[in-house]
Amino acid sequence: MPATVEITESLIRDYINRAVTDVFKTMLGREPTFSASAGWNGGSPPAINPSNRPQVVGTVGFVGDINGLIYLHLDLAFARICTSHLLGMTEKELEAAGDDVINDAIGELTNMTVGGFKNGLCDAGYPCKLTIPSILRGTNFSIEPVSSAVRHVYLFDCAEHRVVADILMKAED
Amino acid sequence: MRYKVLTVDDSKTVRIIVRKAFKPYDCEILEAGNGVEGLAVAAKETPDLVLLDVTMPVMDGVEMLTKLKADPALKGIPVIMLTAEGGRDNVLKIAKIGVRDYLVKPFKEEVLIEKCGRVIDLKPIAEAPAKVKSISDPADILIVEDKPAIIQQIQEGLRHTPWRFKGVSTQAEALGQLSLTPPDLILVSLSLAEEAAFSFFRHVRTSVKTKYTPVFALVVKTETAQQQQAQTVGFSAIITKPIDIAELEAKIAKAMNLDTSQRYYATEGEVLVMRLPENCAPAVLAEVAGHLKPKFAEAVDAGFNKVVIDVHQIKTLHMGIIKLLFQAMQTCRELAIQFALVGNPQIVSECKGFEDTRGWTFFDSIDDAKTFVSKNAPQLAAVG
Repeated sequence: MPATVEITESLIRDYINRAVTDVFKTMLGREPTFSASAGWNGGSPPAINPSNRPQVVGTVGFVGDINGLIYLHLDLAFARICTSHLLGMTEKELEAAGDDVINDAIGELTNMTVGGFKNGLCDAGYPCKLTIPSILRGTNFSIEPVSSAVRHVYLFDCAEHRVVADILMKAED
Repeated sequence: MRYKVLTVDDSKTVRIIVRKAFKPYDCEILEAGNGVEGLAVAAKETPDLVLLDVTMPVMDGVEMLTKLKADPALKGIPVIMLTAEGGRDNVLKIAKIGVRDYLVKPFKEEVLIEKCGRVIDLKPIAEAPAKVKSISDPADILIVEDKPAIIQQIQEGLRHTPWRFKGVSTQAEALGQLSLTPPDLILVSLSLAEEAAFSFFRHVRTSVKTKYTPVFALVVKTETAQQQQAQTVGFSAIITKPIDIAELEAKIAKAMNLDTSQRYYATEGEVLVMRLPENCAPAVLAEVAGHLKPKFAEAVDAGFNKVVIDVHQIKTLHMGIIKLLFQAMQTCRELAIQFALVGNPQIVSECKGFEDTRGWTFFDSIDDAKTFVSKNAPQLAAVG
């Protein structure tokens, strides 16, 4: 299908808002609310999470007529809550299962979120496919994309927790 | 038959969610982390259903699906895609290779089960083995009836039971109720507008959660065509209006496979008392007869070879009651049980009028009958 819809910031915001809401509501029974957005075009990357709390970041890309990557940031405490809920595990069981289980769960949540986002792009005439998820973990770090990338950062509040969707798309797209 | 479901997904999380979703059902869950593993497991185990992701390392879901469908031994295995890869064109392309259904992540476990339930006959497994539900256990019964008076009649008539009734007047309300808590039994009126009872019945039977729930049709006695239609489509029972509450109660108990024996049989001291209720409708007699031999044998096994057959609540005799009493007395003789009958003046008088029952002897009270059988009398209290 030829591309008929121009990819604007408002379209991206709409797609990511829908994707994050759908995934957190369906899989976790939580209703995240869109809090803020921040554009970026070079210079210092935006402050993703001002606190120095440990983070778990899921990454999934989309490749095709449009190319990009989405980082989904969750603080570790929230990542643990999400994993427990998804898998029906108690905190104790989660502790015994180890970090790999949390990584896999956040990877899958990211996969679903990016899937929802990129399916919107597909239906808008930009066919693309998902890549396999990967996970970053750490405290007080920032991600600096190549200068040609267009970056959009969207913040969501989910009860007392924050979810950040950091979208990087190739400039020529 | 225990179904095998193969989940092929590189995410352990998804495989655990699938396992969790199928836990209440009699299924074996097989797992694979990519298409190569998936094909190997499929060839070895021949699953009844494959749940397949698209984006996976080593071999993706589209390649696995293509190879599966190209293999004469495996191509018949139904596949449901369970993937974050949506988008109209993607779905159409994959569907053309041959999939039974397509579920885009994120997904609810109930939706997954519903979709799988359309492909394989999912049967719930009992959580606790061998505990028979009894007539004194609570149960939820949904009444779908547009005549409030009928709902009220059923609720009032069965007030003495521990069953909880929920009355709704439309199909939409009934469907809403099913999505909240699936009931243990459903009564639906065939008089609902536009044959809604039949479309509701089809919905109940296609839903995994309710496909084995007994559904009774409520219909006016003279509407024989509707009764026939209900029987043809497979309603569990037909209840005719005006409703015989005792018969309805007995049919509900039978459909829910409840142990009703305690209603008619009780061990009092060292004597088993078999008690017939005032209303001995055919369904009630069938229930009593069904428990008769096991209960009498149970008493003998426990060392209580004394039985009192209490019919004093019955207002009038009929052939069904007489046959049941003959059967009870015959069983007593076979098991060398001492027995005595308890009746009322009306029953005693009616028995005198029949050749076969003329010789029966009745006690006026349970206590007298118990004393009689306990004294180990050399001769039986009643002669058939």
